[in-house]
Amino acid sequence: MNDPTNTFCGRTRREFLWQAGAGFTALGLTDALSRDGFFGDDRKAAGPLAPKPPHHAPKARACIFLFMYGGPSQVDTFDYKPKLYPLDGKTIDIKTKGRGGSKNQGRVVGPKWNFKQYGQCGRWVSDLFPHVGRCVDDLAFVHSMYAESPLHGSAMLMMNSGRILSGAPCLGSWVNYGLGTENQDLPGFVVMLDPSGGPISGAKNWNSGFMPAVYQGTVLRPHGEPILDLAIPAGMTVREQRRLLDALREQNDAHLAPRSDDSNLAARIQSYELAFRMQAHAPEAIDLANESAATRTLYGLDDPRTEDFGRKCLLARRLVERGVRFIQIYSGGNHNDYNWDAHGDLVINHEKHAGATDRPIAALLQDLKQRGLLESTIVVWGGEFGRQPTAEYAEGTGRDHDSAGFTMWLAGGGIRGGMALGATDELGYQAVERPLHVKHLHATILQQMGLDPNRLSFFHAGLAQRLVGTEGAQPVRELIA
Amino acid sequence: MPHAFRSAFAVSAFVVAGVAQEDAWWAYRPLQRPPVPAVQNAAWVQNPIDAFVLAGLEARGFTPAAAADRHALLRRVTYGLTGLPPTPEEIAAFVADDAPDAYERVVDRLLASPQYGVKWAQHWLDLVRYAETDGYERDRKKPFVWRYRDWVVDALNADMPWHEFVQTQLAGDEKPEPRVADLVATGFYRLGIWDDEPTDPEQHRYDDLDSIADTTARSLLAISMGCARCHDHKKDPLSQKEYHAFLAFFENVRPYDLAARTVPVDGARAQFERSLADYTTARSDAVAALRMAAAAVVPGEAANAPKLVAAYPGDRGSATELLDAVGERHGAMRGQIVQVPGHRGQALRFDGDDHAELPRLVEDSFTVSFFVRSDRPGAGNGNDTRWFTGTGLVDGEVSGIVRDWGIAWHSDGRIVAGSGDPETFLASGPGHHDGQWHHVAFTRDRDSGRIALYVDGVLVGEATGSKAALTAPPHLVVGRMRPGGRGFRGDLDELAFHDRALSGPEVAALAFDLPGGFAAAEAIAASPAFARLAALRRPDLETTEVLAVTEFGSEPPAAFVRLRGNVHSKGPQVEPGVPSMLGGEGVGPVRATPQSAGRRTALAQWITRPDHVLTWRVLANRLWQHHFGRGLSRSTNDFGRLGDVPTHPELLDWLACEVLARGQSLKAMHRLIVHSAAFRMGSDAEPKALAADPLNDAFWRFDRRRLTAEEVRDSVLAMAGVLNLERGGPSVYPPLPPEVLATSSRPDEAWGEATPEQAARRSLFVHVKRSLAEPLLASFDRADTDASCPVRFATVQPTQALTMLNGDFAQAHAAAFAARLLRETSGLRAQLTRGLELVTQRPARAADVDRLVLLARELRADHGRDEAQALQRCCLVLLNANEFVFLD
Repeated sequence: MNDPTNTFCGRTRREFLWQAGAGFTALGLTDALSRDGFFGDDRKAAGPLAPKPPHHAPKARACIFLFMYGGPSQVDTFDYKPKLYPLDGKTIDIKTKGRGGSKNQGRVVGPKWNFKQYGQCGRWVSDLFPHVGRCVDDLAFVHSMYAESPLHGSAMLMMNSGRILSGAPCLGSWVNYGLGTENQDLPGFVVMLDPSGGPISGAKNWNSGFMPAVYQGTVLRPHGEPILDLAIPAGMTVREQRRLLDALREQNDAHLAPRSDDSNLAARIQSYELAFRMQAHAPEAIDLANESAATRTLYGLDDPRTEDFGRKCLLARRLVERGVRFIQIYSGGNHNDYNWDAHGDLVINHEKHAGATDRPIAALLQDLKQRGLLESTIVVWGGEFGRQPTAEYAEGTGRDHDSAGFTMWLAGGGIRGGMALGATDELGYQAVERPLHVKHLHATILQQMGLDPNRLSFFHAGLAQRLVGTEGAQPVRELIA
Repeated sequence: MPHAFRSAFAVSAFVVAGVAQEDAWWAYRPLQRPPVPAVQNAAWVQNPIDAFVLAGLEARGFTPAAAADRHALLRRVTYGLTGLPPTPEEIAAFVADDAPDAYERVVDRLLASPQYGVKWAQHWLDLVRYAETDGYERDRKKPFVWRYRDWVVDALNADMPWHEFVQTQLAGDEKPEPRVADLVATGFYRLGIWDDEPTDPEQHRYDDLDSIADTTARSLLAISMGCARCHDHKKDPLSQKEYHAFLAFFENVRPYDLAARTVPVDGARAQFERSLADYTTARSDAVAALRMAAAAVVPGEAANAPKLVAAYPGDRGSATELLDAVGERHGAMRGQIVQVPGHRGQALRFDGDDHAELPRLVEDSFTVSFFVRSDRPGAGNGNDTRWFTGTGLVDGEVSGIVRDWGIAWHSDGRIVAGSGDPETFLASGPGHHDGQWHHVAFTRDRDSGRIALYVDGVLVGEATGSKAALTAPPHLVVGRMRPGGRGFRGDLDELAFHDRALSGPEVAALAFDLPGGFAAAEAIAASPAFARLAALRRPDLETTEVLAVTEFGSEPPAAFVRLRGNVHSKGPQVEPGVPSMLGGEGVGPVRATPQSAGRRTALAQWITRPDHVLTWRVLANRLWQHHFGRGLSRSTNDFGRLGDVPTHPELLDWLACEVLARGQSLKAMHRLIVHSAAFRMGSDAEPKALAADPLNDAFWRFDRRRLTAEEVRDSVLAMAGVLNLERGGPSVYPPLPPEVLATSSRPDEAWGEATPEQAARRSLFVHVKRSLAEPLLASFDRADTDASCPVRFATVQPTQALTMLNGDFAQAHAAAFAARLLRETSGLRAQLTRGLELVTQRPARAADVDRLVLLARELRADHGRDEAQALQRCCLVLLNANEFVFLD
């Protein structure tokens, strides 16, 4: 309703048609819509994932979201709090809210790593991320992020779908819905998971919610068969499958002949050709045979600690090169110390996860940059929340969740490098300067990708639903170059 | 510009111009039976539906499409009513049946099939966002939620009148004497997402209530109620205050506690009370006889008398201490435990927030005994064999596998006890939450490791546990389960600790306050009454578990507008009420029950009033939707101004009147609709009509449709000859690829297992887990279960092709399909002919058979396949054919 163009009854015409029970089909009504100028000039690959014109000229063609699942500690990574070190072990008055509920006091756990200044900009980075530190001139730190929940279940949904209530489409779904995909041979929204398992709530983290399933994320595996059911079954050859598909096509053409008005039937015939092409192209996308030894080393494929995440980062670059719009890589999976959820021993936990990701992330930034891809690829780093400066339990270094203030960083895709925005209090618990809600992060990503966050809507349940919510959110201008 | 655009623009202009008149909005006008229009081509008309459709067609110069042929019609109606393909036998019978009522008899057969309920239940489950887990971090299973699904299937198969269908789900628990099925139906309130660890519990509770109110309004009334939660509705005359007045009907509902309730099975209560009376009499007689036997004993100290370690009779009071009557082993009071008249003297009353801590009085051989009284069941569920899931009575539990023990008040009034390392568990029968005093004794003998539990002087269970000293508990807790467990609500009296395991007669002496005390044990043991008593069993009330709604009680809380939808920001107080835009009378009088405010009954009765302007239109529209592929108003969940005006408003009103005229029988309505000539039309395009009305607003033909996700899966199973038509019961777990399980945060616990027979059940009975997407069903657009889903998407995408070509399910069932053909017929041509006929449900065309025969031969000649392999691949082609996946 804030969108005066393309709207009637609060809906875009296209949305109206879906709602109107005409179904949501690949080619359904394409002609009528094309005549209306809906799909622009592109009629080659019409359908729900056909490339669609952006709202404005995009700065970023792709987004790589490095999801540090479990919640990395800001004061141990990128939010330098020198006053915290001498307080180590002291119990202080501080109001916190986390998994363990609300508290008025806490025992400070001093940061367990030293910080150094890096780059021209002189940003502080802890010893957990020496390689990423060398990239700071390309990074924009947001130290004043906050989210609505300090509990994994709802906080994961918030970071991925903008809401703590389950049922909304994820950021990657919105991007694909808004822009379509450039490469019909690959999914437009790809998720790579940790070997230990998915994040909690599993598929809800890449689900398309009230949008059609065609916009949901596709789980891509870095080895073997990259996408579920992509591989031709054992014992069948490509030539043989081609023969089957030809027979199928003839059968379907015969069926279509007296039903030539039905674009759904034609679309389904087409979908088998698309699937056949995906079988050929998707494995190529994950095949690293042509990557140089230098590149493999750069990403840390020579080190068992970094091999897994490094491979995924390298794949992300390859996917960006092939036109995939939105790629999400999870650092950490499962529960507890399988991810960044350091309730027990902070040092063991963060050494493990930072150790697995520091080199690959730096490599990704460097590699994208040297190939000229960084300027059109927005890279995002962060978890669903951060961690408190105080201890969770009477003993140990474990920190409870902190959604009141945490750090994320962005790079590339028209983001200003070498800057920091906002601040937490001097102990690093709460965002006090320029607090930014998760929806501002989402708005900024959409903006850079050519979508107006306050205009991108999908009609559902009587509302023009938006990723940034009914009240909307402006992109963070300071971050934009 | 297509017709739909024009009409929608007309609506838009109507709203924008601000000329909206509430009484003029089509959906809120009083329901009146429109006259059946006159038509020119009266011969086409099978029933009044056709007159309405044809009048529209004639007005636009269209002619209805020619009737579908028998094969297409049988296929369409069989899928439409049962979600399954017709069998070759059913096809042959129908095609050969020349009787004029052959089709009508097919419809009757389909409506009588129990598979009808399986198909139509899914339509309803989509609306009420049925899923079997809660979502969020733990994504817990909703216990016994499948009984709600079965209730819907059974209600539809029994053709339950709509008012009963609605009232039972909304307020079955408020019926005067609810049956189990009435409670199961109220599982309606427990279907949504539920965060068991919300960041703001009160807000989350209201999010849940909002979802319930919104789902009710959308599914039954097609009002987009949720749009008015935070502000007045943008388009409909529905204020935020009215929203909260509507919400007030539900505000007394208790938040979901992740648990099922244990309730008596139908008729069990009366039987139980008779048995209980018999038992009580027999027991009184036996106890009287024991008392006489004990009275004959000369008083004196028994040789091996147990020593009292400590005793807490509850008679002397202290605000801070639980006083020991034997020595100085006083306990510490935590919270305010009060004294009330007890079994003997005073007793201790626990209110759930308090408990007492005692030193670890015993660890080797001992007996703990007390009297207990409560009218509430304890925590835990009836299937659990862990004492520490209950509500603590006297407890020394320490988490982990350690040498501990405890006695608890468990689910459904069971009294349980156990010890750790190894875990042992003893339980009485249920039903002790009857407000009467019951004696409990737990004995433990270190030498033998034997533990025993006695309730009311009778042994109810014994086991052999650890022979070590039970030293794990640092102290003992009375009235609560540690650590931080649930507090007991009820009374405890005469708590005593003895220094050895008492014998059965000794326990009886305590339980019945027998004269002579322990000295009478020998006499008791020798009395025939003791054997009689030991043989008596308190009758069990036969119970079952239901996931059902409960309320806080008969006094509902005051309800308020919550400003901007924020629960913490209270606006003016509101009384329960219904939107004024609908006109008419509000809800009738609200009558509270002992357990509930009675508001939901009043609401349910209002919704199902025969003169309700929306209920019957909404129902008629949905029935039409699921036969014709779209509602007469396409926005079946929204009849407001954001929705779509009906293409045939008079027909919709006429159908709504018919629902009432036909006794709210859905089956009668199905008959009416599928008997119409409109339903029997073919789906071929007619160029002029296609150009003028490409969306088929006028119903000049029957719309083709893709099978639903469930129909695709069920049909593949049917082709393979393995479809298992068993109905009901806990959901099943057909195998999922490991790649899918790996997306779960707990891959090893993400899914269950099923035998091949169970894996071949219809899709309605496949477990619906919010955090795990079943790949086949998801890619074919199964409903998202987090919100009410009125219309399925019907996408076409390459993922579907990959799944159907390469997926394990498709591959395995293509093989089974081929095996079936080999089994049922011989000769390649015959096999392929039958395969084609099974998949298309029509006679095979020679050209189609020729094509497959050629394929099979080439697979053998050029690709080195044997006969079975070649046939298998042909079957894969058949399962991927458009004609298999699309009707018409």
